[in-house]
Order: sequence, then structure tokens, then C-alpha cells
Amino acid sequence: MKHETIEKNVGLMGVLIALVIAVAGMAEIVPLMYQAQTTEPSPGVIPYPAVELAGRDVYVKEGCYNCHSQMIRPFVDESLRYGPPSLAGESVYDRPHQWGSKRTGPDLARVGGRYTNEWHLIHLINPRDLVPESNMPGFPWLQDNEVDGELITTKMKTLKWMGHPYTDEQIEQASDAVLGVTEMDALIAYLQFLGVANNGRSQK
Amino acid sequence: MSNAWSIYIIVLAVGNILAMVWLLVITNRDNGVEESETTGHKWDGIEELNNPLPRWWLGLFIITIIFAGIYLYLYPGLGSYKGSLDWSQMSEYRQARDANAETQAEFFAEFVDYDIAALSRSEKAMATGERLFANNCTTCHGSGGRGAKGFPNLTDNDWLYGNAPETILASIQNGRAGVMPNLNLNSATVAVLARYVQHLSGEEGISDHVIESGPKRFAICAACHGADGKGNQTIGAPNLTDDIWLHGGRVSDIENILRHGIQGNMPSFSSALNSNEIRLLAAYVISLSSSNNTDLSTTADGSDNPANGSNTTAEGE
Repeated sequence: MKHETIEKNVGLMGVLIALVIAVAGMAEIVPLMYQAQTTEPSPGVIPYPAVELAGRDVYVKEGCYNCHSQMIRPFVDESLRYGPPSLAGESVYDRPHQWGSKRTGPDLARVGGRYTNEWHLIHLINPRDLVPESNMPGFPWLQDNEVDGELITTKMKTLKWMGHPYTDEQIEQASDAVLGVTEMDALIAYLQFLGVANNGRSQK
Repeated sequence: MSNAWSIYIIVLAVGNILAMVWLLVITNRDNGVEESETTGHKWDGIEELNNPLPRWWLGLFIITIIFAGIYLYLYPGLGSYKGSLDWSQMSEYRQARDANAETQAEFFAEFVDYDIAALSRSEKAMATGERLFANNCTTCHGSGGRGAKGFPNLTDNDWLYGNAPETILASIQNGRAGVMPNLNLNSATVAVLARYVQHLSGEEGISDHVIESGPKRFAICAACHGADGKGNQTIGAPNLTDDIWLHGGRVSDIENILRHGIQGNMPSFSSALNSNEIRLLAAYVISLSSSNNTDLSTTADGSDNPANGSNTTAEGE
């Protein structure tokens, strides 16, 4: 094909450019979408129950991912601090995943069970009450907002449609489960749920 | 990975490299002969030269192609092919983890004959203990071990469960669940007891009414905190006669706990840390308070020391 032919046919050039750009993605990304390793849950990983799911939305809404990652990389110094490396199969029920790209605060992939609920409550209201040198902002208003049961039911239905194995019973009971639950309770429940399937800690 | 996907990846990767080679071959021209050949394009009198690629650039291009070939032979890249080095991210991680475990075992081998008290006196062991403490304990107990409201101060020599090495070891290993139940007290009793408990801890200016009627109402507390209010370390009931307040010493703090009860919870670390690490931490916790013994006597808290001192000996037995 002559240089001139390509240069003077915009359509052809567009197709060829797209092909060049896409080739790496086609080899590196597309196959991953069909690998059991990345699409099937790791042992013990279940979809978020109603309260935890609501807490996850609070996590996203408050932008926790801006400072906290949820992915332990396979390095010894990380696993010594945070627990075993994260597996792809642990993120299958995260839409979108909260891996994060920055750690101003510690990684939270396996924070579940690491602290008590009381600790989280005090820490989320004012982190400096517990960790004087902390630069994390407080989130006291979360105590004042209640979780919307109807919204959670809709979300669970949508997620089920997308393939999360929620039972009809779970969806039916969702709005009861979050009745009177504050965003604070939900966020703490979510944090206590993170990574417990494979974190080497016992969850009560 | 299924065969089909494996083949798909191999075709794309190898095909891409071959396409690069093909590109080099078809555009290959003798260098340095006709520097002034143009592509024939001409815009406003400006012509586009069609010079051959510079040699050094061409050389780099060829090197990257060779590199790609060697890389794909050594490392996993071609579908299911694992590469001749059999390298993977996780295998590298596991190697590093095992190497670390070995280093750790070497470190702990030195202390195999130490009991916890001896460990707490070893400078080398405590340097590591400090780091373990920073990583696992400071978020609740504070970076200096001084605790926070609701989270015990480990440096003040006041112990909920006692400071015998085995007790501290058990606390770290199994965690602790302290429960002060909601006793459904009426508000008069709550008001009196809150002040009476302050009186027990030596606060001045408590009304005679409270001091007189307190003991009778305190009977319900005595089940856990003892008739004298000195607490019970076997169940983790705090000593109420010292001026150390885990959940705050203001009347409102105390009344709140009397009304609603409160739960203390220390998580178990048995699955997060190995036994060597837990022993080291127990020793570090002991070292925290023992090094502070002398400091305390010179501070305002000094008056508490005799009471604490008697506690410590009782626990030791």
C-alpha cells in the first residue's frame, strides 16, 4: 500500500489508525474479560448484603477512594502491613472496583475485622480523637443521614440483572434490612465486610 | 486460559512483531545515496523529503524487535506459554515472602530462650517490637501507647486484666470483650452513682448525701467492680478507685455509661500475627509501662502509684 494512498483516504487512514491503537488492548484486555480468574468470585466472596451495599455507596459518594486504595499489591512489605495480596476474583462484585490510584491513607482492601465498630465510629467522626497525627477529614454528618431502602432495593435489582447472584428473598428484605440504618452504620458495615473472605483474620 | 484465547493472543502478539519486521523490510532502502528524493508532495512550494531512516534509529528499532523476541521466550506473554524462566508475579511474591520468613526466623532464633520479661529488656527485640506495635496497635492505643477515650492507655500501669505476661499474651492472641451491662437503673440512682464513683476515685467536693447513700446503691456494681470498687481483673472490671478513666471521668460520661452500659472490644490477632510476633508485642507492652514507672511518680499522677503498685504485685502472683 502506498504512502500516498493512505494519506489521501481519510477513511482508510482512520481504520488503520484504530487498528494500530487497538492491537495491544485486543491482546491484553479483551481476553481478561473472559477469564474465570477475573470474572468468577474467589472462594468466600459474596455480593454485598443490603447494608454493606449502601455503605459502599457512601464510600464512593464521600470520595474515600481519593485517599484509600483497595488493592494490596503482591509485595512482601505490603502483605506484612495489609494482608495477603488482592485477587482479581475479590473485585467481581465491585461495580466499579475501588482499587484506587493513591494512598494518602492506608489500603483498605482487608480492613474488615481489623478494628472494632466503636473504633470506626469514633474515627469517622473525628480521626484525631484516636490518631492525633491523622490528616483524614471527619465525616460526622453521616450519622444524620439515613439510608434509602427503596433505592437499595432498586440497586440490588439492577445488580442482579447484571449478574450478581442476589436471591429474591435478599432483595425483598433489603429495605427492611436498612430500615433506620444511618449512612455511618452502613459505611462501618461496609468497611467491616472488606476483604474478610481472604484476609487471614476471623470475622465475628 | 482456553486454547482459543491462547492462540488469539499468540497470533496478535507474533503477528504484530512480524508486521514490524515486514514494515522495516519494505521500507528498507540504501542509506545515504539519494538524500534529496521527495515524496512528491508540494504545498506552497514546500516539498516533503522522503529520506531513509537514520541508521541509529533503525538500529534501535531492530534492537526492540530482538528484545521482544527474547522477552516473549523468557517471560509469560504468549497466551498460556509460561516462559522458559517460569516467572510469575505471584511466584516472585512467594519467593520474597519465604525469604522474609527466613529472615524473621533467624531474628527470632536469637530470642528463643527468652521469656517475655527478658524479651522486654532486650533493646534489639524492643526495636522490632516498636515497629510491630506501630503497625498493629497504634491506631487504637495511640502511637506512644497512651490510648484514647475508650481505648486503654498501655503506659500508665493501670491494667484491666492484669499485666502478667500470660495475660497480655492472651489479650493479644484472643482479643478481649469487656461488657458493662445496661442495668436499667433509675435516674436518681444514676445521678448518685456517677458522683459516688467520682468520690471513690478521690474527687473532692462530693455531697454528703452521695457519700452516705452511695455504698448502698453501689451494691449492684460490686458484683463486678468489687465491694471496695477496686475492680476485678479476672473479668476485666476496671478499678474505680484510681483517677484513670477509660471512657471519660466527667459526670456526663459516667452517667451515660451507667444508663446505657458499654462494650469494650479488642480484636484477636492470632490469625494476623504469628506466635513470635505476638510474644514480642506482649513484651513491648510490658516495656511500655515499666519504662514509665519512674516517669509517673514524678508527674501529677504520682498519687496513683501506690494503688497501682499493689495491683501489680497481686497480678504477679
